[in-house]
This record gives sequence, C-alpha cells and structure tokens, in this order.
Amino acid sequence: MAPPAPPTSLTPTNLTAISLEDELIRCRASTVLLRVSGESMQGAGIAHGDLLIVDRGLEPRPGQIVVAWLAGGFTLKRLVCHRGRLRLEAAHPAYPPLELDPGAEPHLWGVAVHVIRTLEPGTGHR
Amino acid sequence: MTCRSQATGRPAIVLIDGNNFYASCEAVMDPALLGRPLVVLSNNDGCIVSRSAEARALGIRMGQPYFQVRRELERQGVVVRSSNYALYADMSQRLMTTVEPWVEQLEIYSIDEAFGQLHRPAGHGDLHDWGRRLRHHVLCELGLPVAVGIAPSKVLAKLANRLAKTAPGSDGVWDFGGIGDPDPQLEAVAIEDVWGIGRQLSRWCRLRGISHARALRDMPSGELRRRCGVVGVRLQQELRGHACLPLDTLPATKRETCVSRSFSQPITTQAELQEAIATYLSRAAEKVRRQRQRAGAITVFVRSSPFNGTSFYSNSATVTLPLASNDTAVLLQAALPLVERLFKPHKPLQKAGVLLQNLQSEEILQHHLLVPLPLEQQHRRSALMATIDRLNRHYGSGTVQWAAAGLQTPWRMRRSRLSGAATTRLAAIPVVQAR
Repeated sequence: MAPPAPPTSLTPTNLTAISLEDELIRCRASTVLLRVSGESMQGAGIAHGDLLIVDRGLEPRPGQIVVAWLAGGFTLKRLVCHRGRLRLEAAHPAYPPLELDPGAEPHLWGVAVHVIRTLEPGTGHR
Repeated sequence: MTCRSQATGRPAIVLIDGNNFYASCEAVMDPALLGRPLVVLSNNDGCIVSRSAEARALGIRMGQPYFQVRRELERQGVVVRSSNYALYADMSQRLMTTVEPWVEQLEIYSIDEAFGQLHRPAGHGDLHDWGRRLRHHVLCELGLPVAVGIAPSKVLAKLANRLAKTAPGSDGVWDFGGIGDPDPQLEAVAIEDVWGIGRQLSRWCRLRGISHARALRDMPSGELRRRCGVVGVRLQQELRGHACLPLDTLPATKRETCVSRSFSQPITTQAELQEAIATYLSRAAEKVRRQRQRAGAITVFVRSSPFNGTSFYSNSATVTLPLASNDTAVLLQAALPLVERLFKPHKPLQKAGVLLQNLQSEEILQHHLLVPLPLEQQHRRSALMATIDRLNRHYGSGTVQWAAAGLQTPWRMRRSRLSGAATTRLAAIPVVQAR
C-alpha cells in the first residue's frame, strides 16, 4: 500500500492568502498609479477612467504599452518597431502613429504593466 | 538581485544621499520640471529649503526668505513649490527600500540620507564601480539622483558624500578607500564642515590654528581629549579611518509625537487659538493611532513672534490623562481647557503646537479601576476613529474633522504652491492621456 501523500497544501508557504499587491507589482518602490483619460487605447483593452499600474524601473521594449512624456503631459501609447524605426502607436484608428526621431531620445517615463477597471460603481473604495 | 558585494574584504561605510531631495521629488511626478530652475519653500512658504541644480546655477541661495526674492524668482522664470511632505515622505520610503538590498545593514539617518555597512570585495577592494551601479539603479527605478560616499567610517563617509557631489569629475560617487592619499581632500574641508563638530569646538580649533579636517585628524589626541573628552577623540579616530560610530539600525519606538505650525497671520483671539490647537491635536492623535499607541499626557505650547515689537511671550501647559487614550474626542476634552490658561489677549501668537507624551503601545492593556467606557462602546469608538482616519487618508486630511477645529481657518499654514498628492491619494493620482 502506498504511503499517504505529504500534506503539501499545509506547508507554511501556502498558508498566506493571495496578495494582489505581490502578484501585480514587481517592485513597490518603482510603481506608480495613473488614471487614464481618453479612448485612444481602446484597441488594447484600456478605457477612459481605468487605473493603470506603471513600473518606472522597466526598460521599455517594442510591443509594450508605455507612458511617454510628450508636449507637457503623460501620454499612453504602444512602443512599436516599424521598418527598423521606433514609433508610438495608439490602439484606435482615429489616432495616427507618432514617429520617434532617431536622434532625439524620447522621454519614456514608465511601462504600463496592468490595468484595473472597476465594473460595479461603489465597490472600488474600501 | 546580485547587488551586494562579496562579503570578504575590509568593512566599509557608505552614505547615500538624495541630491536636492525635495526639488528632485517634485520633478519625479512632474517631468515638466526637469531641467528647469525650481525651488521648494519651507513651512508656511517661509524660505527656500531646496533648489534644483538649475536654480543653484542662477545663484539662488539656501534659506533665503521667499518674500525677499519673490520678484527676482518670477523675473528669472523660477518655478516655486510649497513643501509637499506627503510626497517627500513617500519618495523617501521608496528610496530606502530600494537601497536596502545593496548593503548588509542600513541606518536611515534622515528623510533623504542613509548610512549603509558592507564589505569591500576581496582583492582590489574598490567600491567605486559598485557605487556607480547603485546610483544608476536608483535613478532608473525611482528617477531620483543620489550621491554615494564610501569610506572606512561614518565621518569620512559624510565627507566622501560631499566630494561625490562637488568634486569635479566625481560622477556622483566618491570612495575614500579607492584613492591613495586623502590628505588633499581633507585639507579642502573647512573645520566647520566636519560632521559632528559643534560651533564651540570649531571655534576652539580655529583659535589653535586648526582650520581643516586634516589638521584635526593629525592634532595630538591628548589635547582633544582634555578639551572635549571622548566625543572629540572618537571624531578624530573616525577621521583617521577607524570606525567608532556604530550604525543605528533599530529606530527606537516613539515616545513623543509633536504637531506644531507657524501661523500665516498672528492669532489674536482665544477662539482662533482653540481651533488651531484642536486641528493640531486631531493630526497628532491620528499619528499616534497609526503608530498603534496611546498618549498618557498632552502638552500645549504657544509663543508670540520674537520680532513684532511687543514683549515676547512663550508658555506651555501639560495635562496628564487618568487613562492613556488615542481617542480624539477624549484628548480634545482634556487639552482644550489648557488653551484658556495659555491665551493672553494682548499677545498676538505666531506659533502653537501640541505634544502627545508618555506614548504607550495599544497592545499594553492598562489595568485600571476607572474603565471609562464598557468594552463594547470602546470598540465602537475605535471603529469610529479608524473610519475617520481612513476617510482623511483617502480624500485628503481634514475631510472629516471635529467641529472644535473650526471651518474657516485664516491662521492655517500657507502652502499656496503645493503640488498634488500624486503618490499618496488615489483621488489625486496624475492623469495619463489616451487621445
């Protein structure tokens, strides 16, 4: 007869409840929350009023959704490598892409890593 | 993260310090400020307490009263901000948690500086490159520039940190262990600028012809001991590279909490003073609750302006509570009668404050015959306090307040150029445009 399986679910590491903060945030110190305004990232599943978790410590890579500092404000775009050149694209047909000058370093402020949307009004606040 | 150096070589002390910390914090959440001259004002928009590099380059000096230089700042296009302590405290915490894994032990020395202890790598023993990586890491993660000073002792680390900021070509890092002869650097440090030297001791040194750090290091120890005992000798030993000041890594539990402010305009009525004290007491009570403590005594203090011509008035009064409490209503009831005793009709007041003393942990259940409220009611009271604290944290301080704190408050601290609570209140986080 096989011996009973060890009680793996009761090892101390499994006794802590899931922490959303631990799951969603790589580094507390470099993480900032921003509020989304506008519809240009709809195609990427980001809507007006969403809460954005932004990590400032990540190196922005093509394909990622980034927060750029443009014309005196934070702007949300996808960083894309198009024909060998970097550009910032919206996720909405009405917004044209923005070519990045190869010489000038764009100010990419942080990488958007999660989006939080409250579905039922009134439940978001403790 | 493999950032700690291999613990094999000689021990080293590092001082990590945020450059123009308040100004840098402002620019972290508002990149429009990067590269622009920026100054941050003290409480009540009194004087300049932090300057960006660009503001320094314009010749703006530290400590200048704002009203004196206001026009000039406007003319030069300098951005002016009131002190945003919530932002700086949050950034400070981020800074400390970011540097902590880089050292073996960390002592948080102030809002923008920390001492660390680590061992030099075996062999060459140079930490300059490590310091450069640390600096780069903090800049990437937080957007905050720091200076890194490395030395065998705290006093030398403090000097190294200064050199990291000021020496040409230092790239923000200075390692006293990495250079052959520190004498030229020590000779460039005026005796008054040596960390831990008081005004009296530096005057005594000057009289004896000891004008810089190197001369203090090399003077006869006996003479120093006779003048200022073991403190002076320890300082000298530190300058010689022998660590005598240990890292203070365990912050003592707080025994007192103080909230005090200068008024934007002098207070002349008892009603106004009462409101001010009620406001400060509410803040202090909130702090104590956050520390999970109760206060055993309350001191209220007031003073007039030392400059306004009428004779100077300064006074304080203390009340001891029969049972330690952190319930704002209980504390107000005990403290407000003190106001009546302290207020003098013909003494316009410039500053007042509240000190909560004899703090004890909430966990310590005080055995007392005079239990003020039945247990169930006590629980309800603490639930009420917790709700009020949460509302004030969430919607901004002063959202819910005791009526005693007043609704129109002309005396309140002036912070006319305050930036938002960008990292400390969900309702105030910055907006990112998707347009």
